[in-house]
Amino acid sequence: MIRYILGRIASIALTFTVVSVIVFLMMHAVPGGPFDGNDMPVSDAVKAKLNASLGLDQPLYVQYFKYMWGVLHFDFGIPFQSPGETTLQLLSRAWPPSLILGGAGVLIGAPLGILLGMAAALRRNSWIDYLASAFATLGLTIPVFVISMGLIMVFAVWLNWLPASGWGKPHAWILPITAYAAIPMATYARYTRSAMLDVLTKPFVTVLRAKGLSERRIIFQHVLRNAALPMVTVFLPMFIGTATGSIFVEAMFRVPGLGAYFVSSITLRDYSLEMALILMVTMMFCIAYLLSDIVYALLNPRIRVGGRS
Amino acid sequence: MPLLDIENLTVSFPQHEGVVQAVRGVSLSVAAGESVGIVGESGSGKSVTCMAVLRLLREPPARIAADKMELAGVNMLTASRAQLSASRGRVAAMVFQDPMTAFDPVFTIGHQIVETIRAHRKVSKSEARGEAANLLARVEIKTPEAILNSYPHQLSGGMLQRAMIAMALSCRPQILFADEPTTALDVTIQAQILQLIKDLQAEFGMGLIMVTHDLGVVAETVDRVVVMYGGRVMETAPVQDIFDAPAHPYTQALMASMPGRSAGKQRLVEIPGASPNPSNPPSGCPFHPRCAVAEARCAAQVPAFKSQSATRAAACWRLP
Ligand SMILES: Nc1ncnc2c1ncn2[C@@H]1O[C@H](COP(=O)(O)OP(=O)(O)OP(=O)(O)O)[C@@H](O)[C@H]1O
Ligand SMILES: [Mg+2]
Repeated sequence: MIRYILGRIASIALTFTVVSVIVFLMMHAVPGGPFDGNDMPVSDAVKAKLNASLGLDQPLYVQYFKYMWGVLHFDFGIPFQSPGETTLQLLSRAWPPSLILGGAGVLIGAPLGILLGMAAALRRNSWIDYLASAFATLGLTIPVFVISMGLIMVFAVWLNWLPASGWGKPHAWILPITAYAAIPMATYARYTRSAMLDVLTKPFVTVLRAKGLSERRIIFQHVLRNAALPMVTVFLPMFIGTATGSIFVEAMFRVPGLGAYFVSSITLRDYSLEMALILMVTMMFCIAYLLSDIVYALLNPRIRVGGRS
Repeated sequence: MPLLDIENLTVSFPQHEGVVQAVRGVSLSVAAGESVGIVGESGSGKSVTCMAVLRLLREPPARIAADKMELAGVNMLTASRAQLSASRGRVAAMVFQDPMTAFDPVFTIGHQIVETIRAHRKVSKSEARGEAANLLARVEIKTPEAILNSYPHQLSGGMLQRAMIAMALSCRPQILFADEPTTALDVTIQAQILQLIKDLQAEFGMGLIMVTHDLGVVAETVDRVVVMYGGRVMETAPVQDIFDAPAHPYTQALMASMPGRSAGKQRLVEIPGASPNPSNPPSGCPFHPRCAVAEARCAAQVPAFKSQSATRAAACWRLP
């Protein structure tokens, strides 16, 4: 197990390096630089001077190593679009709203989805099953900004129960959290249903019934435990994906979160921020997958304890 | 009163292409302590009959009907969920064909035997575990403690089948259903497991239903044989009579197909023709299309199941 984890950590380091090189090269391969915008024309001489002051005139590999050297010391540079603060300061200011809303969305959506999926699997081909399936399909196919718009229309405009946007007051969080919850809920509803149906057809379930165990014990102790194996592996990556913000949800509800920076850092050639965002997300996904695999191994005796003696 | 009493059991599975008639009017009774073998070729409805008795088929799709289906006095057709749970494992236990898939892979063997004991009796975990260890020792497992702590994937098929037998016996059932308990095992282990089941049946004084398509297994383990074909019972007789004087043409064909029995022939002789399509069974006697001595009425009408003597009965127009 220790060996396995060390191996995985080595492969994460490799992934991280490869991603950083590719992203760095692609970022600079896109034509234009941070001072080529049309709305604020700068003379070539000034541009050259600005580029030189930021080190953008140096060869790419020098820039890359300089940046990565900084990263190793938690220095992610200065975001050009907001030069008054460091990239880290920008991230620590913009991430909490995304983390709170997206995180709450997953933490609420996933359990609801699991319950829905369980109900659907246990009442297969009943109206609950059809309703859950319809719900899950809608949640996955309707774009999240349409869901957001629907929520705003119904709860803010028609019913006037909740504010349409804003970040300050917690009751303004309800609608964006709901919008964020849609995808985790739909994903988990589908996942849970199919994982449970898969386990329910296993011969050992018939054996459990033949032993005279109660249906409740069979479902909650045996079926759920087996179905949880594939289910735990998707949770953390989904959490990372949602809790780093969605540009659509944040734009719809005017949340000052991280989502918008994923786009603006690219359009504004904000190299430091772009690298920082992608490296951060890459690292979080790598760690999420590693933790998922460890949890999976711990829950699964076929991996945790060795094979046939 | 027989321990198990089934009259005119039918089990069908409605499907898109038509209704699969898996069991078509089976009557069967087993007395306390009696051992009965159910034989018949693949698809004749042996497993479905056993599963129907314990109501282990998913209903729907399965549709079960019978004039009577009683297990130790409990009407299994109308039994509540709680009654069913109380009967399963306690009154009737089951040993399945494939031990490799019969255990929950995420729990130890010990956990799964202990939970069976504790589902039916109020005993502490440690008491139940002690009993489980004794049971494993009784099924000739040399290291019961190690096996209790093992996960299913760590054990061989033979070991798992012993553990499953121990688990089935853990609540001292009055009758044991063994559905082809050796088919999935190595040939060398098959005989040991059969012997074990036979010994335990005598020791515990329980009834036994041994499902198999191997007449050799039947010869060694049971008192009475029920021959099934196409979802119906063709013949039932004491095991000796089945071998010495099979009455029904199907039983005769089955005996002839046994390797090494008919003089000079070592090769297995297949019964000519194909087994009946369960969605579209032949009219009359299900065996008539393959029967060497079939007559016109065999195709027209189902022969009644008639007693030939106190211990024998068969369903064939040619028999008295
Ligand atoms: N769940 C089901 N749905 C539809 N048809 C089924 C189902 N279970 C069994 N059958 C059908 O019922 C018939 C009898 O099956 P059964 O399993 O009882 O045969 P068997 O005598 O045990 O055969 P084998 O020796 O192969 O185990 C078969 O034609 C089978 O295809
Ligand atoms: Mg079978």
